[in-house]
Amino acid sequence: MNLSLKYKVLMIFMLLVFIGVFLYYYGAKVRQEEADAEALRDYSYIVREYALDAVYKSKENPVEVELYPSAYTEAILERWKAISDRYPEFEYPEAAIEEGDWFKVNRVIKDAEMLKDTVDKMYEDATVEFEGLKGSFTTLLDYIFYQKYEPSNIEDILIDLGFESPREEE
Amino acid sequence: MKKKKVIMVTMTIILLIVICYFAFQFVNQNQDIEDAIEQEFRSLRIYMEEIYAIEFLDDDRAMVFYSWAHPDFSNFGVMELEKTWRGWQFVEAISNRMERKNAWLKGVYAEITDHAILRGPTWASVDKIVIITDDGREYTPELGKAERQIWYLILEDEPFEEATFILYDSDGEVLREEVLQFDLNS
Repeated sequence: MNLSLKYKVLMIFMLLVFIGVFLYYYGAKVRQEEADAEALRDYSYIVREYALDAVYKSKENPVEVELYPSAYTEAILERWKAISDRYPEFEYPEAAIEEGDWFKVNRVIKDAEMLKDTVDKMYEDATVEFEGLKGSFTTLLDYIFYQKYEPSNIEDILIDLGFESPREEE
Repeated sequence: MKKKKVIMVTMTIILLIVICYFAFQFVNQNQDIEDAIEQEFRSLRIYMEEIYAIEFLDDDRAMVFYSWAHPDFSNFGVMELEKTWRGWQFVEAISNRMERKNAWLKGVYAEITDHAILRGPTWASVDKIVIITDDGREYTPELGKAERQIWYLILEDEPFEEATFILYDSDGEVLREEVLQFDLNS
């Protein structure tokens, strides 16, 4: 086959255009998939941490997940609010909670300095003797989210400050 | 000569399309639903899951009952899948938090696509449950077993806000009676 040079150039040009368009769309698709995966990972985390109910309407392009607080979410928020009522610098994001913006809510509580300052104040204010090391910034997160006492002396502190009711005698 | 060439090319293309169609069909027919479910969990970024039951609504619709999340699998999910030309595909999923603690039975009402479902965890020693509503309707929900156990009921008539649950053991003895309330707006 004898093709003219002009024709050959045109063929190559067309081919390049096709490859370019393909690469562009492929790249865009990959980026979209990564963004979706990231969003679903965030939803999975927030549903688990805040004990939320969820409806996964769509899992790709765009990701659509509806979140609703459950009774267990309310319990988490109650513990958070009680601490915030006594220590106002321990921010309770009322507006974000009402809007149902759980990612915004989560950003508020992840302030390590705020957590550490509050836990230090709790140890200072408590009137009970305690043994062992004082709690760190994760102590309050464990208590608020999982009602877990880590280190164990925080339970007495929380009872002493009136956040938890006294243990029943066995 | 040229005509023959065109016919050859056309035939080859048609043949390829037919082969592709049957190949897709073959892959689809033999797709293991459990593999598809596993893949959907991964894409939803749901880890640490336990599957209790797969309920086939018809040949190409299925509902998967599961619970997920570390450490105690307290998020109870239902995922609806549909069989399409691309195999089993995600339609919708719901997740409800129910902490077992020491409860014999828990339950929520939820809607997924156009189905109303009641479900929740129950004690592993429960072998049968009978639900009696205030207006005298009686249901026997399915039990889904894995390491733990759930009960579930796909409702085909009017939902109810309250019902008595009678739990039986494997000898048919009544273990317990509980009254559960359901929030129909959730």
